[in-house]
Amino acid sequence: MPTVRPLGPGAVDVEVDVNGMRAPLHVPPHRTLLDALRDDLGLQGAKKVCDEGTCGACTVLVDGRPVYACMTLAVTCAGRSVETVEGLARDGELHPVQEAFVAHDAFQCGFCTPGQIMSVVALLRANATPTADDVMRAVSGNLCRCGAYPNIVEAALAAARKATK
Amino acid sequence: MKPFAYVRATSVAEAARLLGAGSAAMAGGTDLLGLMKGGIAAPARVVDLTGIDGLRGWSRERGAGLRIGALTPLVDLETSDQLARHLPIVRAALADTATLQLRNAGTVGGNLLQRNRCWYFRDEAIPCWLKGGTRCFASEGENEHHAVIGTARGCNRVAPSDLAPALIAHDARVTLVGARGTRSIALADLYTDPALHSRDEHTIKRGEILTEVHVPEAGLQRRGTYLKAMERKTWSFAVVSVAAAARVRDGKLRNPRIVLGGVAPVPWRVEAAEAEIDGHPFSDELARRAADALLADAAPLAKNGYKVPLAKELVRRALAAIAAA
Amino acid sequence: MKDERGRTRVVRTRNEFEGEVMEQLALVQDEDAEAWPEGAQLGIVGRAHRRVEGAAKVTGRARYTHDVRLPGMLHARILRSPHPRARVRHVDPSRALALPGVRAVLHRFNTPKTAFRGEETIFREEVRFVGDEVAAVAADTEETADAALDLIVVDYEVLPHVVDLEEAIDDAAPRIDEKGNVHDADRHERGDVKKAFASADVVVEGTYRTSTQLHNCLETHGAVAAWDGDQLTVYESTQHVFGVRQGLHAALHLPLGKIRVLCDHMGGGFGSKGGIGKYTVIAALFARELGAPVRCVLDRREENVAAGNRSATLQRVKIAGKDGRITAIAHDSWSNVGQARWVADPTGPTKGLYDVPSILAHAHRVVTNTGSLAAFRAPGYVEGTFALESAIDELADGMGVDPLALRRHHAEGAIDPVSKMRYSLKRLVDCYDIGAAEIGWSRRKRGGLRGSAPGLRRGLGMASQLWSGGGTPPAYATVHLNPDGTAVVRIGTQDIGTGTRTVLAQVCAEELGIDVRDVRVEIGDTDSTYAPISAGSLTVASITPAVRLAAKDAREQLLDVAAGVLEVGRSELRVEGGALVSRGGRTPIAKVFEDLDNYTVIGRGSRSPNPDDLVLKTFGAHFAEVEVDRTTGAVLVERVVAVHDVGRIVNPLTARSQVEGGVIQALGFALSEERVVDKPTGRVLTRSLETYKVPTVRDVPRIVVRFVDVPDTAANNVGAKGLGEPPIIPAAAAVANAVANALGVRIRHLPLTRRRVLDALAAAS
Repeated sequence: MPTVRPLGPGAVDVEVDVNGMRAPLHVPPHRTLLDALRDDLGLQGAKKVCDEGTCGACTVLVDGRPVYACMTLAVTCAGRSVETVEGLARDGELHPVQEAFVAHDAFQCGFCTPGQIMSVVALLRANATPTADDVMRAVSGNLCRCGAYPNIVEAALAAARKATK
Repeated sequence: MKPFAYVRATSVAEAARLLGAGSAAMAGGTDLLGLMKGGIAAPARVVDLTGIDGLRGWSRERGAGLRIGALTPLVDLETSDQLARHLPIVRAALADTATLQLRNAGTVGGNLLQRNRCWYFRDEAIPCWLKGGTRCFASEGENEHHAVIGTARGCNRVAPSDLAPALIAHDARVTLVGARGTRSIALADLYTDPALHSRDEHTIKRGEILTEVHVPEAGLQRRGTYLKAMERKTWSFAVVSVAAAARVRDGKLRNPRIVLGGVAPVPWRVEAAEAEIDGHPFSDELARRAADALLADAAPLAKNGYKVPLAKELVRRALAAIAAA
Repeated sequence: MKDERGRTRVVRTRNEFEGEVMEQLALVQDEDAEAWPEGAQLGIVGRAHRRVEGAAKVTGRARYTHDVRLPGMLHARILRSPHPRARVRHVDPSRALALPGVRAVLHRFNTPKTAFRGEETIFREEVRFVGDEVAAVAADTEETADAALDLIVVDYEVLPHVVDLEEAIDDAAPRIDEKGNVHDADRHERGDVKKAFASADVVVEGTYRTSTQLHNCLETHGAVAAWDGDQLTVYESTQHVFGVRQGLHAALHLPLGKIRVLCDHMGGGFGSKGGIGKYTVIAALFARELGAPVRCVLDRREENVAAGNRSATLQRVKIAGKDGRITAIAHDSWSNVGQARWVADPTGPTKGLYDVPSILAHAHRVVTNTGSLAAFRAPGYVEGTFALESAIDELADGMGVDPLALRRHHAEGAIDPVSKMRYSLKRLVDCYDIGAAEIGWSRRKRGGLRGSAPGLRRGLGMASQLWSGGGTPPAYATVHLNPDGTAVVRIGTQDIGTGTRTVLAQVCAEELGIDVRDVRVEIGDTDSTYAPISAGSLTVASITPAVRLAAKDAREQLLDVAAGVLEVGRSELRVEGGALVSRGGRTPIAKVFEDLDNYTVIGRGSRSPNPDDLVLKTFGAHFAEVEVDRTTGAVLVERVVAVHDVGRIVNPLTARSQVEGGVIQALGFALSEERVVDKPTGRVLTRSLETYKVPTVRDVPRIVVRFVDVPDTAANNVGAKGLGEPPIIPAAAAVANAVANALGVRIRHLPLTRRRVLDALAAAS
């Protein structure tokens, strides 16, 4: 039986698809996706708040599913698609969820916002007509210390309404 | 997090071979990476199991029960309407498990094998008994979240999984595959009691991989429910949880199971408590008797006495719910 | 008028910051403008406006201190004491320095004296809590710096310690401060308390406890320091760039002109980011020594042990009633301040909220071997309002009167009972009327209402809010009007998430007569004009008046120019919608400047003094409806009605957000947030956001926000007062009162966890 060769502990080559573009990385296996995005790729929208999978500020989509980038090893993302908040706006136009967050004042300090938005984007792709309860379930893993929650729920519902109109 | 070598196994046999001393198996990574970041675990090698085919998804075979692959993401179980018809307790148990992001990454096997959340255990600087020290810091310390029963005073941790009590209530078994062969054990036996003086939380052996959960046909015949009390409305490990299941015929609860989470180092079950209600129709009085039997040996610490009445009330509600369904 | 412009004078003015009333001198440069009166037809101020930085924040483009990456930047990490109290006898960094990638180690034996908040050095000889700074490492990467921390060998002489408030008060506790553990703080006495208690119909006494609340700003504290020769630039997540500059000036003995502090966006402060941290000094020292920029950012665990907290309190309140009124209150408080040299007085509301004839209030500061307090959104008032308002409800129960009716007797006074001066504006009773109608207060019954299922009880509760919020000089602003009619507001304030940029753009646009979209607001830079700390609810009331004057100055200069260019009488011109309007028609500003290429109109303004003879306060009332499960101890807050009297609302959209956020933070304090410290080891057990439970989206009730929205024209030229703190003050007390109403049992210890609810019910039965 052929044996697979362990990678690392030094840096290894990994290629990830980030926001639709090939992103070659040279990172050790213990580098998290969050650190790879922020420090290796310069994508600093996802924030490092707890770095232990408890707050949601680093939420990105891996193969379309929202996950905590701080609890995901970059090396496990080889060949997978990663979407971050930087990939949402197209040709200078805000994504409808981003637009709704601004219109409904769904943030204050803004530090949790990229993560909240990614959670809502994933929800609306799976469920075009969510209820308030659906929205709350989708962002339950995204803490907001400023307490913008009521407006986050409003914004998500407004974005959904607009998209289905 | 300390550097480590990483290897992605492509078969169970390969993974079993790679899991030598100093290695850790990783599926979703949501517990392991937390332990590593917190300085509680520092494996030299991480064996990623997610490249193994055939361990995802679930299947129902008539007469042969239900099989769930250990690498199935929790979210896939939670969102499956079909599974909810066969085994509704799974959806109920996962509804408030961690967060959506963690349920997307986390797997069934990982959930069953996660380590406990005791804040002394999770503090890298506290040399508690479970980490090889001499004593439990919670027994005389800040113990409002700790065990009220089944501790033998060795370790006052509580079993954290929501899925484990739920599946145990349906007599689930797990398959463990290692280099020396395959064994099937009752899920309840995956958890080890501090009374046995083992500093492990699980009976899985080095090099073994949990590949499958099997709920036998008899387990599927039971109607089950799961209730969880938390310290906020969501994103909280159970203060107390109850999984209850029984066959309900003519309003009578038959062959019931009651399993508590959050109260003992293992998912807590007492057969004498189940015998109290077996064959009887639900009543508050009967539920009280069962709950009293379930918690008869409770010996709360200074700050966790509230868990006893809370658990008893959840038992009553869970039994009422399955009787009424 | 015109020759008055630019005249600088020194005025004495009174202001209030987080409960402290201070007299200070301020430089004022302008004659003030008349306040916009009640009912003024304003086109921009008072209308909802989206945040001007919205697009930057939703795209991930907004740059926070955490995101600053400079070429060649090194990373610093801090070694923290594992002991709650110990003497640092020796530090051996040699093994750490031998680790490849490590550049330097700082500790108490090799660090120059750096004055820091009243101490001589940043590394104490006697470390006083688990997490106290012992040493720091700079390395090529954060990971290497982290690994090096484990290699520093420290010889500690471990000393006796105490971490618990009530143990520290006890005579048996180790004396950890040479002057004792308990220190007298504020004391206030009026009337004759003894006599009032002796002659009362009813006297109620209670001991109330609140737990330590951790700020948990999502962006942890941190700084990046870079030197260019002898010029220091610091990026810091701060509520006060000028405060950081002052701290660096004191610590490093640098001229102010050699220091520049920047804070573009910041991820929450809630009071904890009021000045420099030790991490700032560490970054600056390393950067100077190593000739490279240095980043020093705390992780979540450090944040929860060493970045401040709201003190736990023990409060005794004795309250007397006679003939349906409150006649006296005695309030003693003890606050666990950690190692801080100040205390956030919890007795403020007792002294000033109600017009009660006899008061005896006495606050104590208790030192312990825990992380020090830092201001946390209405420090003291949140804790004190819980005790006071609980006691008033207990008295109302004892007297058999409606608790709101009882409060009304003491809420109408136009004179501040502490200073004996008249309030500029007080609409507390209006808040009661609006809130009571909205919540349906008339449904409230003594002993609560039946819940939606067996075992559930429903209750209503309310509490009042008192806070300052009147703002203060000094604050200065400039408005640059570009020749195309766009403008730039510059002021050295910072937007901590409240929407400061947006309200400044609104005020500038309103006064200048241009569109909000044509205003850019540049803040967060000490190379700009001075503005006060963004704390104490003083931002809007301090800086919008200065910006308004700067915009007015720019507008008047524009009129001068336009009168000349258009050959129209100055008095016939006005600026409206980006154009000069006269009877002859509209001329866009750009047209006026067409032949005056690159002309910049520079308007400047400053904050005028507060009125001498008036007290500026904000008021409010919260009403809560809860359902409590007697058998599981679960508290469900269904609805909170929040009514505030804070003068003019500049932006109703962001104001509503501010209130919702304050209520939600208060609910965390009321129901789930609690720092837990292990007594024998002194370790904080709730360092993570899993164990320290801030509210999630599902914990949020329906929040109804109402404003009295009457401008306080005596306060300042905008008529607005602060709104940052008011909404966190009464919500916890209102919820506690609602829970007591529902259960018929009073729980005098926050947060109201299942454990406390079930234990209280068990004890009562």
